[in-house]
Amino acid sequence: MTKQEIITKVNEVFEESFEIEKEKLQPQMNIFEDLGLDSLDIVDLVVALQEKFGIKIRDDERIRAIRSLGDIYQFTMTMQNKAK
Amino acid sequence: MYELKLVCLNTIFYLSFIAFSMISIPLFVLFITSLSLFVSKRLVMKKFRRAISWYGAIIIRLFPFPFIRILFKDYEKKPLKGPFLFVCNHRSASDAFLMSCIPYECVQVVNIWPFRIPVLGILARLSGYLNINKMPFEKFSQRACELLKQGVSIIAFPEGTRSGNGNMGPFHGSIFRVGLMSRCPIVPICISGNEKIPRRGSLLLRPGKIKVHKLPALQWKEYKYLNPFTLKNKVRNIIAGELTVMEAQG
Repeated sequence: MTKQEIITKVNEVFEESFEIEKEKLQPQMNIFEDLGLDSLDIVDLVVALQEKFGIKIRDDERIRAIRSLGDIYQFTMTMQNKAK
Repeated sequence: MYELKLVCLNTIFYLSFIAFSMISIPLFVLFITSLSLFVSKRLVMKKFRRAISWYGAIIIRLFPFPFIRILFKDYEKKPLKGPFLFVCNHRSASDAFLMSCIPYECVQVVNIWPFRIPVLGILARLSGYLNINKMPFEKFSQRACELLKQGVSIIAFPEGTRSGNGNMGPFHGSIFRVGLMSRCPIVPICISGNEKIPRRGSLLLRPGKIKVHKLPALQWKEYKYLNPFTLKNKVRNIIAGELTVMEAQG
């Protein structure tokens, strides 16, 4: 999966699960302050990402360090590469 | 002239507040303790919460009058049977006292600091206020659902902390998840005008007019198709819209 495909799929998760407008989905956006997610939403986000990409990320400690949408793109890319 | 008003307001308010608390709280504890010998725990808790509401109403409505006026508006045409989840914007420490306008048996979802206030913190704990910072979500939701089953409404400030500057912060979703689980109606509450009563980090009260608007309840059947994230933002938008109107009216 290319980088752009991963970005598109992650954005789809935000649009489908959280109904966030496409225009807001920029890599620099802080998922808490700009997009309004809270710690419980992160659990839903992880589940949605797992379903979308078919990977297991729930127990990964690096999730705690995620702050921006760009961090999620990067994290998902790393997990995708690891799953290959 | 304004300085004189400020001195009068704060002197009268704080002296009355301290004197009233010193007299009423021991009497109130004595009354509740005596009552608990004769009636069920549920009834004691009901009276306890009613007394706290009266205490709050006297402090926020009577003592600062006429320097601070509270204008309460209920958009519900006829009173509905509770319980409800009341969801409110949070600008000042006076918000907790302003909740005495709500004519239902309620507990509040609070942060750690209200529990640390001498005496009042103990009363809050005894009356079953929920400390969101000390509870994992599972425990919080279980306790909240138990209270709702008993007919006790819950008041939450989902911004989590006082915004101070009047701009509403993002909402936390816990209370909305409780709504989806319990099927309880959600009632948005809007408070405007108390940003400086008192300002965050200060105890100084400033004269003004505080408006509290209780908006129509959002029934479970209206929001059951929404996920917690969408629901919290829907309620946030309702509150933000009403606040814009309230502030435009002055």
